[in-house]
Amino acid sequence: MKIVVTVKLVPDTNAAKRIDPATKRLVRTGLETVINPFDEYAIEAALQLKEKLGGDTTVTVFTMAPESGKETVRKALAMGADDAVMLSDAGLEGSDVWATSYAMAQALKKTGFDLLICGGLADDGNSGGVPGALTEYLGVPGLTNVRKIDEAGEGKIKAQRETDSGYQVVSGPLPALITVTMAVGEPRYASLKGIMGAKKKTIATMTLADLGLDRAVGTDGAKTEVLDISAPKAREKARVVEAPDGATGAKAIFDFLRERKLI
Amino acid sequence: MQHVIVFVEHKSGQTRKVTYELASEARKIADALGGKAHALVAGAGAATVAEQLKNYPLDTIHVTEDADVDKFLLDPLVDYLEAVARSAGPSLVLLPNTMLGRDVAGRIAARLDAGMNSDVTEIRVDGGKPVSAGPKLQGSTVVASTFKNTEYGVATVRPNAFDAQAGGGAAQVVSIEKPAGKSYAMVIEDEVEEASGEMGLEEAPVVISGGRGLGGPDPFTTLLKPLADALGGAVGASRAAADAGWVPYSLQIGQTGKVVSPQLYIAAGISGAIQHKVGMQTAGTIIAINRDATVPIGEFSDLLVVGDLFQIIPELTNMVQGAKTHA
Repeated sequence: MKIVVTVKLVPDTNAAKRIDPATKRLVRTGLETVINPFDEYAIEAALQLKEKLGGDTTVTVFTMAPESGKETVRKALAMGADDAVMLSDAGLEGSDVWATSYAMAQALKKTGFDLLICGGLADDGNSGGVPGALTEYLGVPGLTNVRKIDEAGEGKIKAQRETDSGYQVVSGPLPALITVTMAVGEPRYASLKGIMGAKKKTIATMTLADLGLDRAVGTDGAKTEVLDISAPKAREKARVVEAPDGATGAKAIFDFLRERKLI
Repeated sequence: MQHVIVFVEHKSGQTRKVTYELASEARKIADALGGKAHALVAGAGAATVAEQLKNYPLDTIHVTEDADVDKFLLDPLVDYLEAVARSAGPSLVLLPNTMLGRDVAGRIAARLDAGMNSDVTEIRVDGGKPVSAGPKLQGSTVVASTFKNTEYGVATVRPNAFDAQAGGGAAQVVSIEKPAGKSYAMVIEDEVEEASGEMGLEEAPVVISGGRGLGGPDPFTTLLKPLADALGGAVGASRAAADAGWVPYSLQIGQTGKVVSPQLYIAAGISGAIQHKVGMQTAGTIIAINRDATVPIGEFSDLLVVGDLFQIIPELTNMVQGAKTHA
């Protein structure tokens, strides 16, 4: 079975970020990129499935990112993925959810897959729109918020889908796209052997020329346009109350709630 | 883009508060655009929800109780939403920024070749076009975007970001026909309830969250739940608590969990890593209870009480309950 995992390279959560007022895009220079935390769970789910199925099951990591992201992609290979495909092209810069999904779908049609695994959200854009749009542009069934894959193989998938109040058991045919939640299991660390091995693994590159798109992507093709950026409303500095006992602390909170008319 | 369509999330006829927030906001945007405000309610119990929605200022409520909606995953919902959007004409589709709302949003955006803006907390109309804004980059920046190169827009909206205003309702309830020629692949074989009767965390007006400082699973039910009940809220947790297995991941608030924006957020024994901050920083009032005065959460709280949460919370619960009985 061929498993493909989509990965987004995002700026490190803890790094200070700045948007260029002229281009209204994130200044990526000097920012360390990491694998989107949600996508690490997608990789973990893929590797678990590979271990379970064995045989000729392979895990390919797919990302749309500038070539400078290669070293970050290698981290996914060090976790245990077999190879990677990068869709890199200056013409993709400025792509929004629509343009990203459209271009990725055409590339993923070329790589092919039995099971495509995506993280549910990206921690920079926060949209969660790409997996659903990929489902449509690829024309495959979609199974979202998977917390456990019960069965996958022989043209069929059955999984537990997390809901707000529990889960659903959902089944359907392969090839399919699934998104996974954190409940699939903590992403593994790369072993030293994995890190050494990753250096020899293949990272293939695709460009827009390989896709032959019939629609514009990047800034020109995007269907959204950033108008302005601003700082979020600043909160006043916190009032700090030392509470040597429970009653003091409770009263401080109670009075504060009264003051703000919250009770 | 002239009209506005609200995707209504519900479960067997029980909807979320965000539905009414979206319906109220849809009216304002539709008026500013000179268009109509529509809603789609699909699945078992849809007629019940439509009745309640009639109290809100919509023009048309499209309803279907087609059994396929609850039998097959997402596909029928997307088909019905597409049908409403096509019949309405160029429009902005509003969905709640919830697990289901996000699932449907990406799909309908692709169906309509629409632009998509997500986790929106403000919407305005500028130059005849909807402009939506929301926090991005872990909340460090607010980005306002509009749509181009498309007749349709899709926006997922953060619950509690807009007011629900009943009234002005003269909505027509119409039943919508099943789109022809569709086949559905993903079958919902079974549905298992694990946490019953819990209010949706995203739209609770008050959230009481616990972290590593709680030390185990029990205080979530013995300590936080009574306070949440007294304040009419829901219980949440930090990632540390969810990772430790003290609560299910569905209660986790943060970057990799749920994003909430309640009127009041009380963080007990949570240090306030950026991971957590992303999920709650737009709350109205933030109160932190922690043993340590130097915790990061102090930098984005309104009140930091330095003390023992195990002593403070029961006292506070009593005081709130007492205030309620005397009110």
